[in-house]
Amino acid sequence: MDIKKSQQDLDTVSSKDTQSASVGRRDFFKKTAALSVTALAGTSLLSSNAKADDSAIMETPKWASTWGDPVTKNLYGMPSKYEHNVTRRYTKLLASGNYRASIAVTPIQDLKGIITPNGLFFSRCHGGVAQIDPNEHRLMITGVNKPIVLTMKQLKRYPSVTRTHFIECPANGGQEWRGPQYNSLQFAKGFMSCAEWTGVYVKTILEDLGLKPNTNWMLAEGGDSSKMGRTLPIDKVLDDAMIVWAQNGEALRPEQGYPIRLLVPGWEGNLCVKWLRRLDFAAEPWYCKEETSKYTVLKPTGKAIQHFYANEVNSTVTSPSPEIDWSDLKDGDIVEIEGLAWSGMGTITGVDLSFDGGKNYIAANLKGLVLPKCWTRWSYMHTYKKGDELFLTSRARDDAGYIQPTIDQETLKVGVEAVYHRNAVETWKVEKDGKITHVEIRSQLDRKGKGPLFIEGKA
Amino acid sequence: MFKLNKKLLISISAAAALSLGLSACMDGVMPSSKQSSPALASIDGGVSYPVKNNMTGPYHVNPQVAKDATKIFNGRVPTKAEYDAWNTDIMPDGTGLPEGHGTAEEGSDIYDAKCGMCHGDFGSGGGGYPSLSKGNAYDLHKTLTNQRIKPDEDGPVRVFGTYWPQASTLFWYIKDAMPHPQTGTLTDNQVYALVAYILNINEMEIDGQEVDDEYVLNREKFLKIKMPNVDGFEPKIDGPHGRDNVRKYFSNPDNFGAQKYDVNNPASRCMHDCQEPTAKVAYIQNGGIHDFHPPLSEVKNLPAVKPSGEAFNAARAYSANCAMCHGTDGMGAPVVGDKAAWAAYTAKGMDKVYANGIKGTDAGMPPKGGSELSDRDFKSVVDYMVNKSK
Repeated sequence: MDIKKSQQDLDTVSSKDTQSASVGRRDFFKKTAALSVTALAGTSLLSSNAKADDSAIMETPKWASTWGDPVTKNLYGMPSKYEHNVTRRYTKLLASGNYRASIAVTPIQDLKGIITPNGLFFSRCHGGVAQIDPNEHRLMITGVNKPIVLTMKQLKRYPSVTRTHFIECPANGGQEWRGPQYNSLQFAKGFMSCAEWTGVYVKTILEDLGLKPNTNWMLAEGGDSSKMGRTLPIDKVLDDAMIVWAQNGEALRPEQGYPIRLLVPGWEGNLCVKWLRRLDFAAEPWYCKEETSKYTVLKPTGKAIQHFYANEVNSTVTSPSPEIDWSDLKDGDIVEIEGLAWSGMGTITGVDLSFDGGKNYIAANLKGLVLPKCWTRWSYMHTYKKGDELFLTSRARDDAGYIQPTIDQETLKVGVEAVYHRNAVETWKVEKDGKITHVEIRSQLDRKGKGPLFIEGKA
Repeated sequence: MFKLNKKLLISISAAAALSLGLSACMDGVMPSSKQSSPALASIDGGVSYPVKNNMTGPYHVNPQVAKDATKIFNGRVPTKAEYDAWNTDIMPDGTGLPEGHGTAEEGSDIYDAKCGMCHGDFGSGGGGYPSLSKGNAYDLHKTLTNQRIKPDEDGPVRVFGTYWPQASTLFWYIKDAMPHPQTGTLTDNQVYALVAYILNINEMEIDGQEVDDEYVLNREKFLKIKMPNVDGFEPKIDGPHGRDNVRKYFSNPDNFGAQKYDVNNPASRCMHDCQEPTAKVAYIQNGGIHDFHPPLSEVKNLPAVKPSGEAFNAARAYSANCAMCHGTDGMGAPVVGDKAAWAAYTAKGMDKVYANGIKGTDAGMPPKGGSELSDRDFKSVVDYMVNKSK
């Protein structure tokens, strides 16, 4: 292409545009002449003061007058180097000694919208992050009428579906059954992320393989060193369980099970087996290592819930947060209170917001896309009064008919030793100086012997 | 429409009729009485979004995919040998459990060599790795009703002996996924010996007989193990009604601490006085947890740059990669600072010490301690550890 020629064309086009634009502008000034006096008054400029003028405006920064990077640099793009503090984080409390059976959690205080960038998606593994050669990886499906083994190329020839779903570790918030411990949104609620996934429904592959009579359960097993396995009921397999190979438009990251993982929408993250290599079907459940030793909810009766699948309806205030607080707000500033709501049991139907720790609520507004088993954004506009102490509590509900319990309601039923599936409402205290403190609103529980729990003084 | 085995479809429909729930979502088998509802109850207590008018919830669906004409078989049938190579699972009824034998005494030796560096002496745990025993399983099973609702109360003990419902899980776990840095390296006899040892430290019995040092565990005896907490889990998932039990369990929110509201009249939900009058503000105690890496920061600046040419920091590499095993007693590895322990190794020559470290050892040391250090940097870490132990 002749660059000079096309530049001339561009110049011609733009001069025409300028002419027509200037006509339009004259019309505009005629029409608004009556208003122009007040408009000018409203935009009158301050007298210049060299000391007060912003150097970010007054001085020409290096990047405004010299070349930037050539397009040949960073052929796979990276965030601005100024964003280096936006990372996953870990804590030794949640780690094996060498961080191979551990978790690194998502900075949801820094996220926008409902999609988690792939580099920030929380990372949980049981034997380290396997680095698998996709050419040497196979998926084997057995226990069916016609067993099959697939290369990754063959698997990806099945008709694909794309769905946006969150994945949540059921231990999200699980360190705080007996009281708040983290003054941090990232650690209090960051054991989850949300992405657009592409893969194939398991039921689409099974269409030809055919299930045997009395098939009740499916085993999903990983090909990493931990051989992570879980048992799923066939009901979910035939509903919306997927084998996925893409996340937010690109291949899965190794931390998410590259080349393939199981995606079980709305259910415990550990069921979404990474580095998937085997599906087997049977009449009886398997009792894998991570479905009784872990991921079970011990109740005060001494009985534990096993096969606790769905992450229940939940929400949190994401702005403000302990990380990004209101200490820089002035009295009377109008500010958006924003948050996330999600339910593994269905679709969010509404979120309420409380300023007194969940005693009284007003309705907040949902915003953006509202999708099943997916993060949903909500918002409320607030006029900040300097020096006010507030207790911000959000409470979500879903189309399956569930609403978040109070801490008292939840702990009276399942106690404080459950570890997993804590979805009671969460509270940020806005301190007088605008700083944010994580608190919980709860009653002191009591018990007679090994009997049921009750609220102290309320027996 | 999605067709599978007829019997399965019938059993799912029957379950659906009983519980008003159906989660195998297929056009044409939906109870028509639920048409007005946006979704149907599922096995997990939630709703699902069956395909209607080529839509599932907000998503469009290509209707060609669900037609019989698109039955696809893209791969090949696996061979018997391939199936056997990966079919390593072991079920509670003994399916998949190999023949073999081992004693607790043999298991103790294997444990000390390959397991103790993480799981601690006698399975006591340590370094962030799980405990395998806290004492007598039958006594400690009684702690499962404990609740730490007040300070200084003891919690429930959840280890293999007290908590796990099936011994098959332990054999499968050890065989497939242990020792953690070198999984799948134990023989069946070694696994039997380790299982015997873990039964031994949990002070358990088989068929009324104590699993002492000399007890020979084999397949037949293994299948007689009765775990103290075999009836400790709900819902019951075994047998032909397992899935129905699950569906029924999660249809009652009281079972799992959930709250419901009237989804058809959301205005009736609580908006005032929704907390117990006894509820108070609970604050983070004792400073809370703030051992975060990297430390929390919202600053937008340039990352701190290492001064160019900064020497490799062996002390830092040691604490990041080696200290979890070499820094504390009872993990099996020679402790840095223990002159006698290190002298036993260095006496064989530093080349041997380097080689052991780089290649790893049968005693459980993973190659380079699981680090990604270059050989040169790794050797300087070894030098650092040896010098600290002179």
